[in-house]
Amino acid sequence: MSQVSVKQNAKVELQPQGEKAEAKKEIVYSTEKVNLWYGKTHALHDIELDQREQEVTAIIGPSGCGKSTYIKTLNRMVEMNPDVKVTGKIYYRGQNIYDRRFPVEELRTRVGMVFQKPNPFPKSVFDNVAYGPKIHGIRDKKLLEQIVEESLKGAAIWDEVKDRLQENAFGLSGGQQQRLCIARCLAVEPDVILMDEPTSALDPKSTLKVEELVQELKAKYSIMIVTHNMQQAARISDRTAFFLNGEVVEFDKTDTIFSNPNDSRTEDYITGRFG
Amino acid sequence: MMIRNTFMTELEQLKQDITALGKDIQQAFHSVYDAMAENCVPALKDLIDADDAINAKELEINEQATLVIAKQQPVASDLRHIIVCLKISSDLERMGDLSVDMAKAYMHMSSREAFLAYKEDLDKIQASVTVMIDRVLEAYASLDVLKAQQIAGMDDEIDRAYGELVKALFKSDYSADQTAQLAFIARYMERIGDYCTNIAEWIIYEVNGKRFDLN
Repeated sequence: MSQVSVKQNAKVELQPQGEKAEAKKEIVYSTEKVNLWYGKTHALHDIELDQREQEVTAIIGPSGCGKSTYIKTLNRMVEMNPDVKVTGKIYYRGQNIYDRRFPVEELRTRVGMVFQKPNPFPKSVFDNVAYGPKIHGIRDKKLLEQIVEESLKGAAIWDEVKDRLQENAFGLSGGQQQRLCIARCLAVEPDVILMDEPTSALDPKSTLKVEELVQELKAKYSIMIVTHNMQQAARISDRTAFFLNGEVVEFDKTDTIFSNPNDSRTEDYITGRFG
Repeated sequence: MMIRNTFMTELEQLKQDITALGKDIQQAFHSVYDAMAENCVPALKDLIDADDAINAKELEINEQATLVIAKQQPVASDLRHIIVCLKISSDLERMGDLSVDMAKAYMHMSSREAFLAYKEDLDKIQASVTVMIDRVLEAYASLDVLKAQQIAGMDDEIDRAYGELVKALFKSDYSADQTAQLAFIARYMERIGDYCTNIAEWIIYEVNGKRFDLN
C-alpha cells in the first residue's frame, strides 16, 4: 500500500481570513513620552497613547499600575498632589496641555470626570446638574431647566428622577447617584469624559445601565475609562490599553486585545494568569 | 487568580476528551474498512450501532465547553482553546458519521466483485486517509502548526486518487449499484480527508488566533 508523501519542512504561505480595513478617526488626546514621578517614585514610564474621537478607550491593569494616575494627567488633576512631576507632552486637540500658557480651567470644562464613588453635592438633584452651567454664568431659569432635563436624559436617569428634582441627591441609590454625576458632567457640554472605575461601587444592574450609557454617549463624546472589570472593557470599549508597572504594555483594538493579544504579558493578565 | 487552577484542569479535560474522541474515530474508520475488506457484515452492523456512543461523546464535550464558557468567561487563547474544541468535536463527529456511511454503502452493494476489483485503489485512499487522521491528531496533541499545514498537501493527493478512481468506475462494466456504492465509499473517505484539513485549520487558529483556508 502506498501512502501520500508528507512534504517535510514545507512552508505554506498563508493569508488570514476576514481582516477588515479600519476607518480613521480624529485624535482628541495624544500622549507622547509621558513620565510621572510621585516624589522619587517613578509611576509612569514613557506613556504613548491616543484617544480617538467618539471612541471608548479602556485602561486595564493590576492595582498600582498607573491607570488612574494616567487619566488624571489628562485633565491635570494629578497636579493637585504637590510632589508630582510630569515630563513629556499631552496634546488635547493639538495643544500641549502641559504648556504653562494652557488654560487649565478651560481644559476641565472640556474634559469631564466621573469617579469611582458617586460624589454628588449635598444639594438637590436639580442643583447638582445646574451647578456647572451656573458657574459658567448661565442664569436664565428656562435655559437651566432645559440643560438639566437634557443632561439627565443624556445620562439615562431622567425618567427616574423627573418627579424628584428638588429632593436631595443623597436620597438616590448608588447607581442613580453615579448617573447623576454623569449628568452633571454632561451639563457643561464636555468634549471628553474620563471615567475612573465608574462602576466598581455599583451593583450588577446599575453597572449594566452605566455600561449601556457609555455606549450611547460615545456617539457624542470621546470617553476614556479605567476599569478593573475586564469583561466590561471587552464589552464597551473600542480600544484597550494594558498598563503594567507604569508602562503601556499593549494598546490595540479591544477585539484584538481580548482575542489575540500580541504581548504575552497582556495574555497572562487578561486570562487571569497573574494580577 | 484563585480559580485559575480549576480552570486549567477544565481546559485540559476538554483537550483529553477531544483526544479520546479522535482515537474512537480513528478506530471506527479502521474497523469499518477492515470489516469491508473481510466482508464481515455483522461487524459492520455493530460499528453502525457504535456511532451513537460517539455522538453522545460529542454532545458531552459541547456541554462541558458551554459550562466552562459560562463559569469562567474565558478570553484570548483560553477562549480559542474552547472554541476549537467545539469545532473539532463537531468535525470528528462528522468523520464518524462518514465511517458509518461507508459501512452502509458497502452493505447496499448487491455483490462485492467491483469492491475486490478496485480494492487496490481503495486501499491507497484508505491508507492516505489513515495517515491524515494520525497526523492531524498528533498535530492537535502538540499544537504543531507546521504539521497542521502539511496536512493540506496530503488532502490534495487524496482528492486526485479519488478523482482517478471515479473516472475508472464510470468506464467499468460492473453494475450501476456496485459502481455507485463504490464511488460513495471513496467519496466518504475523501470527505474524511477534508474534515482532517478543517481540523488542521482549527489547530492553526488555536495557536495563531487567525483562520487560514488550507484547501
